[in-house]
Order: sequence, then structure tokens, then C-alpha cells
Amino acid sequence: MDLIAWFTDPFSLGFQQRALVGGMLAGLMSSVVGTWVVLRGMSFFGDAFVHGIVPGIAAAVVLQINPLIGAAVAALIMIAAIELVNRQTSLSEDTAIGLLFVGMLALGVVIISRTPTYSGSLTTILFGDALGVTMSDLLVQTVLATVVIATAIVLYRPLLALSFNRQKAELLGMHPKRTHAALLVLVAVAVIGSYQAVGTLLVFGLLIGPPATAALISRTVPRMMLTAAVVAVVSVWLGLMISYHAGTAGSATMAIVPIVIFFIVLGLTRLRRTKPAVEVIVHA
Amino acid sequence: MPELPAHSPTVVADSNVAVARGVTLGYGDHVAIRPSDFVIPTGKITAVIGPNGSGKSTILNAIAGLLNPTTGDLTTFGEEPRNARSRVSYVLQYTPVTQGTPITVAEVVAMGRYPLTGLFGRMSDKDRDRIASAMRELAITDLAGRHLSELSGGQRQRVYVAQGIAQEHDLLLLDEPLTGLDLVSAQAIDRIIHAEPERGCSVVLTTHDLEEAKAADHVLLVAGHVVAQGAPDEVLSMANLREAYGLGALHEEDGATPHFPTEHHHDH
Repeated sequence: MDLIAWFTDPFSLGFQQRALVGGMLAGLMSSVVGTWVVLRGMSFFGDAFVHGIVPGIAAAVVLQINPLIGAAVAALIMIAAIELVNRQTSLSEDTAIGLLFVGMLALGVVIISRTPTYSGSLTTILFGDALGVTMSDLLVQTVLATVVIATAIVLYRPLLALSFNRQKAELLGMHPKRTHAALLVLVAVAVIGSYQAVGTLLVFGLLIGPPATAALISRTVPRMMLTAAVVAVVSVWLGLMISYHAGTAGSATMAIVPIVIFFIVLGLTRLRRTKPAVEVIVHA
Repeated sequence: MPELPAHSPTVVADSNVAVARGVTLGYGDHVAIRPSDFVIPTGKITAVIGPNGSGKSTILNAIAGLLNPTTGDLTTFGEEPRNARSRVSYVLQYTPVTQGTPITVAEVVAMGRYPLTGLFGRMSDKDRDRIASAMRELAITDLAGRHLSELSGGQRQRVYVAQGIAQEHDLLLLDEPLTGLDLVSAQAIDRIIHAEPERGCSVVLTTHDLEEAKAADHVLLVAGHVVAQGAPDEVLSMANLREAYGLGALHEEDGATPHFPTEHHHDH
């Protein structure tokens, strides 16, 4: 096969191009907000949150309303319920997140099981439908991606201070409570804006995979964010191309790529480790 | 001698930067400091000394406005402590850093300027000078590009103190700044502590070390309440120390000064 055609064929048709753009927008917003999720050690929350919006989307499918509204309502309920458990019990936050994780996901499956197209609807919610992305979906995604990326950059100082130390952030006037709430909203918007392209189950791959990879090779947070965005965009492009040539599911292939890239980069950084390790010992 | 600029004398005409009357401090149902009175004198070094869990850090948290008294009245610079934060810089005792977090030493010190620059303000030349001076004073300029996780405990503590003095302040709070440090780091931080009053600032530090407390101008001896306060010679009497530390805790030998081994802990 012609080499150029090998690269261009997967994106020759309109729906394939929309899948690429939709996936890239999902990757960009997920990786930028995911950088702060990784830095704050909130990966479990991110995972639970991604699954927590399933009942909202399921209810929207059943009620035939906009899934974005359903997802937003489910996100609010999830955050409120986690806060409720945290405030009313002495249980750790992990426990509250775990409870809601299972509860919301199960509720989503229960709701969707009432539809005649149970299996197909559930698959679309969980794994997305990259090739079914429409122009109006792209428009919504573009708006959401712009809002998420701009806000994550504008809140750079409060988020950096919060990632450093919550008490110190308060002492520096960086309003850690409001900043934490803003980060939750950003995660929610990124997940809602991405699930169409890659599905709720796999959006987590783009939320955590690229920032985790970037953390291995970045010396500063801005570079980590930039690297994560590049890894995410490359993952989407590579994932769709592999999916086309291998005949695999587009969304799932896209989500696997950043994880594979993470382990490749991890291996390479371990191979290069010897020299920096000596430097650290000398300066210690 | 100090490289940082002297503070403008907006500072304080009053003789005390903080005043507590009948103050009770605690976390939830736990009372850390029973009703107590104390003052923090202006332009002096105040040492807060007491056993583990005696409430030393709690007093600093209250002065910084992180904790509201449950009873009594506490003012910092004549106002509610929360409203005086722009004049207070607080170096916390323990700041856990996640391994691999890509925050460099220079960024950590620069955070000290956030209260002035806010969310969007650009760093001015003055901000940059202040950051550079703070790093020079703590001898961490050559570590500027390193991550915190790549530093020793002493180097890290110097970074936190540099962040503290890079911040505009009239009162510097230091929670166990010298505990468990190597000699170089301890000397660098000790130099800063004694330079601050020359710039017109007041300093409050917590310590376990009796010698450190004796080197201060003013001492608060605490043990769940303020046992005594005043000049070191008056406060650190055997009778007061016995009351604070308990009868079995002290071993006075031939009139020698009792010495407490330093140790690292987390105090509330």
C-alpha cells in the first residue's frame, strides 16, 4: 500500500475527520484538566466521577433529553453525595468516592436496562461512538474545550498552590475551597465534553494517561500540561489510525494508546536513570 | 547586612503584634489550648516552647487566622487574625510533597509573592528581586531548577523559609524551623530569624529546644494552656518547666540546665 495513503485513508471521509477532531478536542481538554487531577492525587476521584455521570446520560436517553443536561445533573448529585458522606461521617474520602462510584454506575445500568436497545445504548455510553460525532457535537465540544482550557490556565496560581499545600494556599490568599470546587467543575465539563467521542469508561484514559506520561518527563507544570496535550492528540490520531487498519473499536483503541505510551516512556526514562541518580546523591 | 529590604514602617506603633485574652483553641471537640492570655511583642523574637501536643502549632495557626478561637478574644495587628493575613507570613512545620511533582524550588519561593500578584498579576522587578534575595539569603540559588523531591530535608526547609521571607510581612511565624536540620541549614535559618527584627519584623517560632528558647526575647511556655510568658530567664524556671513537662520529665543535675532532645513530630 502507498505509504501516504496508509496515513490519509483513515481520515478521508467526513465522519472519520469528525472523529479525529472530536477525539482531539476530548484529548486536549481532558489532558489539561487531568494534569491538575494527577498533581492533586485525585485519580480515583476522576475515575469514579467519570462513571458517576452514567445514570444521568442513561436517564437522558430514556427521557429523550439532551445527554449533556443529564450528565451535568448526575455530576452535581455525585459531588453533593460525596460531600455529604465526608461531612456526616468520619469515613475517609476514598470510602465516600467508592460508595458513589459503585452506586452511580449500577444506577446507570439499571436505568438503561429499561430501554429496548439496552445493550447498544450502554455500549455507546461506556465506550462512546467516535465515528458518530456530528458537526453540532463538535461545536459544543469546541466551546467546552475552550472554557476548560482557558479556566485551567487562568486558575494556574490557585491550582499550583493547592497542589503544593492546602493550608499554604489559604495563607497565600488562593482560596483553596473555591479552587477545589472549580477543579471539580472543570473535571465534570471535560468528562461531559469528551464522553461522546470516547465514552465514559475510556475518557478516563485521556484524563490520566497523558498527564501521567507527561509527569515522567516534565520539569514544570506548564511543560507537563503542554506535553500531556501533545500525548493526548497523538494518542487520538494514532488510535484512530490503528483502529482503521486493524479493524478495532475506535474509542477503545484511542484510550489504550496513551496507556501504552506511558509504559514506553516509563521504560525509556528508567534506561536513562543512571546519570540523574548520581547527580542527586552528589547534591544531597 | 540583610539583603532583603527593610520593611516600611507601616508596621506597628503598638507594642504587641498579637494579643490574646481568655482564648480557647481547639479542633472539633478537642481542646488544644484552655483559656489563656498571651501577647506577642512587636519587633522581637518570641519562642513558643512546650511538650509534644501541648498546643504550640495551634497558637501559630490561630495568630495566622487559620483557626478561630472558640472563646475569648484574639487580635493580630489589632484586627481579627484572618483579616491581618496580608501582614503575616507563616512557614508551616510539615509540607508533604508528592514524589515527582514538577514544582521547582524557584516556583515554590515565587509563591510567596502570590498575595500581591493575585491570580493574574505579572511579577514585577520588585517581586523578582525579592525572590532572588530570599533565595540568596537561604543559599538555595543553585537549587532553583531542582524539584523539592530531589532535596534533602534541610534544603527543603530552607526553601520553605525562603518562600516565607519572599512574602510581604510584618510578622513571621515559623513552626519548628530548626528541628532535625543539618548544621548548614540550621545556621542559615537561624541567621534569618535574628535578621528579621533588624528589618522591623516580629518573629514567632515554636521549638522543643530550651537553648533556642533562651536565645529569644520573649517566651511562651505552653502545656495545654499558657503556663508562663515573659523574658526567658523568668519563664524557663525549674518550677514552670516542671509544671509544663511534668515532674518525671526533668533531670536536674547539679543545677545544670535541663536539656530536651530535639525530635520531629507533628503537633496540633
